[in-house]
Amino acid sequence: MAHKEQVLIRLEGITKEFNGTIAVQDLNLEIREGEFLCFLGPSGCGKTTTLRMIAGLERPTRGEIYLRDQRITDWPPQRRNIGFMFQNYALFQHMSVYDNLAFGLRVRRVPPTEIERRVRAVAQALELEPVLNLRASRLDLSTMQRVALARILVIEPQVLLLDEPLNNFRPGLRELMRAELKRWQYQFGRTMVYVTHDQEEALTLGDRVVVMNAGRVEQVGTPDEVYWRPATLFVAGFIGRPPMNLIPVEYRISEGHAFLISPDFEMRVDERRALIEASSFLPRLILGIRPEQLLIPDLHASSHEGLVRIPAKVDLVRPLGRKLILDLKTRSGLLIQMVTPSTRRFAVGDDLEIAFHPHQALLFDPHTGQGLY
Amino acid sequence: MPKRAWTSVLARWGIVLLVSLITLTPVVWVLSLSFKPPQEWLAYPPTLIPRQPTLENYLVLFWPGNPVGVVSEMVRTAEPVTRAFINSLIIVPISTALSIVIGFLAAYGISRFGAGGNFLPFSVLTTRMFPPIAFAVPLLVYYRSLGLIDTHLGLILMYTTFTLAFSLWMIKGFIDGIPRHIEEAAILDGASRWRVMFTITLPLIRGGLAAAALFVFIMNWTEFLFALIFTSRFAVTLPVQVSRYAGAVGRYYGPQAALGIIASIPVLIAGYLIQRYLVRAFTFGLVK
Repeated sequence: MAHKEQVLIRLEGITKEFNGTIAVQDLNLEIREGEFLCFLGPSGCGKTTTLRMIAGLERPTRGEIYLRDQRITDWPPQRRNIGFMFQNYALFQHMSVYDNLAFGLRVRRVPPTEIERRVRAVAQALELEPVLNLRASRLDLSTMQRVALARILVIEPQVLLLDEPLNNFRPGLRELMRAELKRWQYQFGRTMVYVTHDQEEALTLGDRVVVMNAGRVEQVGTPDEVYWRPATLFVAGFIGRPPMNLIPVEYRISEGHAFLISPDFEMRVDERRALIEASSFLPRLILGIRPEQLLIPDLHASSHEGLVRIPAKVDLVRPLGRKLILDLKTRSGLLIQMVTPSTRRFAVGDDLEIAFHPHQALLFDPHTGQGLY
Repeated sequence: MPKRAWTSVLARWGIVLLVSLITLTPVVWVLSLSFKPPQEWLAYPPTLIPRQPTLENYLVLFWPGNPVGVVSEMVRTAEPVTRAFINSLIIVPISTALSIVIGFLAAYGISRFGAGGNFLPFSVLTTRMFPPIAFAVPLLVYYRSLGLIDTHLGLILMYTTFTLAFSLWMIKGFIDGIPRHIEEAAILDGASRWRVMFTITLPLIRGGLAAAALFVFIMNWTEFLFALIFTSRFAVTLPVQVSRYAGAVGRYYGPQAALGIIASIPVLIAGYLIQRYLVRAFTFGLVK
């Protein structure tokens, strides 16, 4: 992946409207050569529409699409040489697996011996040789998926677009197929753009993740970036399970120091003053802290200096094997979730003091939703 | 338990028997009638098995007046049935094929591109909304001035037009049932729209097309009113020919029955050939 940083596809100011409703709004994005890019978002956020515009199945209302600096906005799908894997695989049910794979090559008038060679090669790579003569309608799901992928690979596309290809699988198999997909990407080294509403899938598969909501891109970043430094409140709340705790706080200056005040705790934020004061909705702010960043101080004897402490009561205990999820109620009635190792026993109604490191807390402007970094 | 099973089996067979009796009795009756001599046509009490079976009813269709017999005396003036048979075999398959081809192309455009807007598929149905006789007079005027009366072309055009509503709506239903993604996959593979239509969509709805074709074929094969009005000599079809076996004293039921039996043979053959596609047409919904 030497040329990984080269831009393969560039979307510039893409907007798509369907009968007056906006599906995608002003989308700017660069897809790099050889990367695995995941679109993540709730259903109806515009991710599939974006994929279809890249493929040429939809035409953007505004904006331009470039493929290696060539403007392809008006190109028909046939001309783009892009592979698209549909949610239901869209195999040609009335043809054999072999004919499914050969279809694109025949259409392109590839010589028959060459077709035979390429179909066999892809079939071998994806272990489809035993089913080549079966009708596509008689395959099981995971074989269908491999056929769908093989059908795309055989035309040697510039980029593979995958639209929620694992949706039809039951959970156990789903993880297996996910691992398989990742392996294929290493094996074939192709640029893949992958749409999913499953955050775990996006975080495990993607080199980069595009988080979308309501037709807009909320954040583009590596899985680590979107998880640990969510750009917006939406990303913070959408990614992670249980979700990030989002606590309303108030900004106040007292005796020359900057504080964030909540009914349950106070936190000094002198070093982030400049950032905070640039936000639009002061004194109100939202503080974000991941459930696994919360700790119980008396379990961690060392480095209690500077911790922000919150007294709370156990409201619900949900064991998850090695760890457990605690739902806690603060004195002011705020619900906080934390994940903690299940080495200690908790009972509903226990009084507990939880804490977090102030530098781990994220701050968001409640009005614009932007993170303050 | 065994007793209950026994009664339910009996009830089931009873119903099957009753339904078959109702639907098959006329067929059996016509078959029996076609082998009866004139004195048995309206005999009371009626007989199921002819007492004096005869082939005269059949022979007279092809050689009226030639073999000497009672029936031949009666229908001496009728044309041999051969012409009507050939006419039907020309007019019906051609108009059926045209109706299906045009119906498929139109249905594809409507289903995939919304061709003609919301009103077109509905407006096609208007040809079936009035009693056909309402069209007869204006069409007669047109046909006369165009010289289409009593021609094959005239009936072919008419049958194609009047069955188009059916083929269009049936085929549109089948095309709507094909996921768009399958066509899009073929387009991304580089195929043109025409190629997609004929190598992807068409084979996938083959069963539906067969069902529509059989349906339209039967409608055209049995059409009587227009054929009666718009033909007189050269382009007479089988249903019209059936009506010709009547005289001053009454209808000649024997030859009519015999012609009915002969006329049903092509439909039976068509139905048999198409049968395996029909099954697929009705199980097609399983494809996701």
